[in-house]
Amino acid sequence: MKELFSKEKWSYFGYTLTHPMDGFYWIRHKEYGSVPIAILMVILFSISFSLNRLYASFVVNETDPRSVNSLTELAGVLVLFLLVCVGNWSITCLMDGEGRFKDIIIAVGYGITPATVGYVLATLLSRVIADNEQAFYGLVIAIGIAYAVILVLMGIMQVHNYTLGKTLITLFLTFVAVLIIIFLALLLFNLVSQVITFFKSIYLELIFR
Amino acid sequence: MRKKFLHGLSKLTALLSVFVLVGMSFTARVAAADEPYDTYNYDDREDLTYTPSAYEPIRSIAGNGLKYKGESIGNFVTPQDICYSDDGNLYLADTGNNRIVVLNNGMTEVVNIIDSFDNNGVKDSFKSPYGVCISEKGQLYVADSQNHRIVVLEKDGTLVRIVENPVSQSLDAGYVFVPLKVTVDYADRIYCIAQNMFEGIMVFETNGEFSGFFGTIDVKITLWEKFWKRIATKEERSKQQLYIPTEFTGIDVDADGFIYATNIDSAGVQAVRRLNPRGEDVIKKGENKNVGGDLWVNGQSQYAGASQITDVVYRNKGIYTLLDRKRGRIFTYDHEGNLLYIFGGLGTQLGTFNTPVAIEASGDTLVVLDAYRAELTVFNATQYGSLINDAIALRYDGDETLAVEKWREVLRLDENNELANTGIGKAYLTAGDNKNAMKYLKLGMDAEYYSIAFRRYRNQVLADNLSYILTGAAVIIIAVVVFVRVRNKKHGKGGEKA
Repeated sequence: MKELFSKEKWSYFGYTLTHPMDGFYWIRHKEYGSVPIAILMVILFSISFSLNRLYASFVVNETDPRSVNSLTELAGVLVLFLLVCVGNWSITCLMDGEGRFKDIIIAVGYGITPATVGYVLATLLSRVIADNEQAFYGLVIAIGIAYAVILVLMGIMQVHNYTLGKTLITLFLTFVAVLIIIFLALLLFNLVSQVITFFKSIYLELIFR
Repeated sequence: MRKKFLHGLSKLTALLSVFVLVGMSFTARVAAADEPYDTYNYDDREDLTYTPSAYEPIRSIAGNGLKYKGESIGNFVTPQDICYSDDGNLYLADTGNNRIVVLNNGMTEVVNIIDSFDNNGVKDSFKSPYGVCISEKGQLYVADSQNHRIVVLEKDGTLVRIVENPVSQSLDAGYVFVPLKVTVDYADRIYCIAQNMFEGIMVFETNGEFSGFFGTIDVKITLWEKFWKRIATKEERSKQQLYIPTEFTGIDVDADGFIYATNIDSAGVQAVRRLNPRGEDVIKKGENKNVGGDLWVNGQSQYAGASQITDVVYRNKGIYTLLDRKRGRIFTYDHEGNLLYIFGGLGTQLGTFNTPVAIEASGDTLVVLDAYRAELTVFNATQYGSLINDAIALRYDGDETLAVEKWREVLRLDENNELANTGIGKAYLTAGDNKNAMKYLKLGMDAEYYSIAFRRYRNQVLADNLSYILTGAAVIIIAVVVFVRVRNKKHGKGGEKA
């Protein structure tokens, strides 16, 4: 654990954000990346998202604070993160992707970081802006998300050693795969609950006899 | 010992006062529960919020309780319309009895019954008089529906003129004129809602000549309906429902000659129009972009669906009230389209309706006519309702500072009232107290004005502390420069040593 959070990992994390092509390449080929840091970044993203919804100024924020539940949002973000990683892994396995599962986690986790920074900065900024300056608030968030999207795209591209076109195709297929996984999960849940109901009714039938 | 006794005494008084308080709040709650309906409003997030009662039912008036010249006038039969005159009398179109009943202001006595009039020496009478209206000159306009005419009478019942047989190229040859609701503006122009007349409100000039249609409602066809229409065959199309505009249901006129007309909007977005003299709709729809009654109308039950507004009354200072026959509710809006309060319901108790058809207002009193029960129901404003009315009236006149006192009292009764909070906040903003303005505007959920208050507050803080900020910045810059120099020097020395 200690070495996963070591100073070298952190400094390489910083290097990856500024030099994504190079950074993600060596994450795949040398053990420079860190899964715990990636997961931490996902958790931080979720927190920053909830913070933005709760604490952005009234000028820009129309969210009903009663509707914000940071734990639900954390669970949602983590499940989505897991689904995307698993979906991408299953697709890239079939499409000559070189990346391992941990590389995908690191690519997505590291890549999402600018969005976190964007949300935090925008939330702070929102406390000092007034009506006609709302555009700046939107701009900060937009830049953060755009940078994050570019990083994730490059990360996936580099860890699998893909071309840009192939990356975009696999990302689309990843989306399809995620839908299939959700469908199967719901189907499984439904069937299992029916089986449980079946045995439960047998049991009830027996004891009431 | 004495101390202990005193302590016990104070405890006792505290206990007593708690009892008294509980008792008081209990009676207050009982008083509020007297109305057989909830009073509510929609907040900025379109959530439903219950408010103190704005209007309470005082009594209901049925025909058989009234006497004229010593005799009971008998029950009303499907009465359809009511109208207040300037002298405070209430004119009621007793449609099924073919007569107009005039009640005094308190609705305790019958002042007059008009069931016939002298038409050039011949005694003439009404047939299903459906709508009544009193002009500014005090003349009575009766939409005599089954006689296909509008009868204009003086208050004492002498005939002024009869408006009938509208002639125009835009009317079909065999058109039968069946006037239902009627209103008159300051220039004695007649605005009439006629049966099966989808082109709009019929306008008659002062001399009784039909001059054209007014305020036509555009038909809205969705893209989806257009698509189906396109792929349907001619035969199928002929069997489909026609896309025709909805008819108007109720009509009223304000002092400036603007016409308020209601219609049944199945989408529940706009059930009332404010028509300028050119027939253009100039209503303001407020924050929610909605003047269609209830916002929560979803569901599968008989009770769900958009409000069906059947009548409107313009009260004064821009306030107007709509009557919904779907759920028997009464909606009151200000001139900006903000909902002020909603109350009423269907039922059999006093204050609820079966088939509400018409509404009228006189000061803080509202009168609703129920056709099926053939009854008038009188509502009086509670303290809460009249405070809101007064505050809106003051704001309409531009007396925002005077309105603040009313808004404060509203807040004492209903501390979440957004209009009150916004009103106070705007007054603070005008007075230059930005911090308080921010507080109240945020409570009133008015992001736009909050933002203005916040900018002024922020700039004020910056201006007040400019010297500190500049000094701080200068100190930091100097410190950084010194730090860099010192470090370079040290490194330089280190380099020399090595």
